[in-house]
Amino acid sequence: MIAQINIDYALCRDPLNCRKCLSVCPSVVFVCGPTKVWKGRESDSREYKIFGRYYDKCSGCGDCVKVCPANAVQLIFVPREQLARKFREERAAQLKER
Amino acid sequence: MCWVCEKYGKGGKWYLNPENYARRLYKIRKEGKEAAGADADPQAAGMGAGVVAELVKARISGDREWENEIKREALEQAYQTHFGQVVTLDEYLQILDTAYPLAKMTCGCRRVQRGMPDEENFTCMGIGPGMYKWERWPETYRGGVEFVTPAEAKEWAMMNHKEGRVQTVDVFGTPYIGGLCQCEYPGCVAVRNRIDYDFKFLLKGHFVAKVDREKCTGCKSCLGRCQFKALNLEVYTSKAYIDLEQCFGCGLCVTACPSGAIQLLERQSMPGLAENW
Repeated sequence: MIAQINIDYALCRDPLNCRKCLSVCPSVVFVCGPTKVWKGRESDSREYKIFGRYYDKCSGCGDCVKVCPANAVQLIFVPREQLARKFREERAAQLKER
Repeated sequence: MCWVCEKYGKGGKWYLNPENYARRLYKIRKEGKEAAGADADPQAAGMGAGVVAELVKARISGDREWENEIKREALEQAYQTHFGQVVTLDEYLQILDTAYPLAKMTCGCRRVQRGMPDEENFTCMGIGPGMYKWERWPETYRGGVEFVTPAEAKEWAMMNHKEGRVQTVDVFGTPYIGGLCQCEYPGCVAVRNRIDYDFKFLLKGHFVAKVDREKCTGCKSCLGRCQFKALNLEVYTSKAYIDLEQCFGCGLCVTACPSGAIQLLERQSMPGLAENW
């Protein structure tokens, strides 16, 4: 089974300052990157967004769900083959466009 | 010699060639209208992470050809612009005598992967004229930079090595070297992607660490030093074991050994490993 990590961005408002899920994850699954970059100033911490970038490494321990103060993290597990099929279809479409 | 040396080493190791730190090489420009607040891909944050999302998809799909294509295209681009290589502490110290100016910076990878506050995260060393341009790309230099003397930088590098961080050189517009990282698995995106996805944005170093089985006492001092999953204890013989094919030659285990039982050998002197970058 592979994790689908959904973040509710309406609830997760200031991830870089909160950083609880980043800090707790035993598999370093999350990344919190800027959605905007500026000249002359740093990005505001609210312009950062969390993703479960390495979701293929997620064990499903659920610590991120428990630790989130905003209840913004949702973990769903889907069969690997189901996801593999979806990605293979994406790839096939990509190749067809060439 | 690795392929970078062949092209930019002038007969020696490319990162010890002072020309690759020369100011006239510094020409990298970021594309995009950043002044207006250009969109960035948050999933691409961290060193060399632009194609991770695609790589993970390819991995899950089991399509090796797809995975190889992603890597081939990404690395072709990376080797012309931005990649890294592992170096030893001695080499790192030599570089600190060559490059100027030197400025401590925070680690962007651990910021975005662990949310480490910048004030606790100053482990990168920015070098060269780029350090004067922080106002152009402030996000890169988030948390500011702290200019240091070569003596201060060396002391700091030795402290980082002692604490167990791998030292690397980082290119910003090949062959211009603009950064020196001190990192770990899995906090470093480049190390992580190399180990977990075999994405060769980070090249192995010019050395490999070999255990002298006569001298090894099995004291276990080296255990826990390796950031590349190459070192463990052979329990039955009570000797350290290094997987030479997996070794990046950083030397962290070497300096931890109280018996002088681990030696760094030139990768080129080992025919079975000479092409293993």
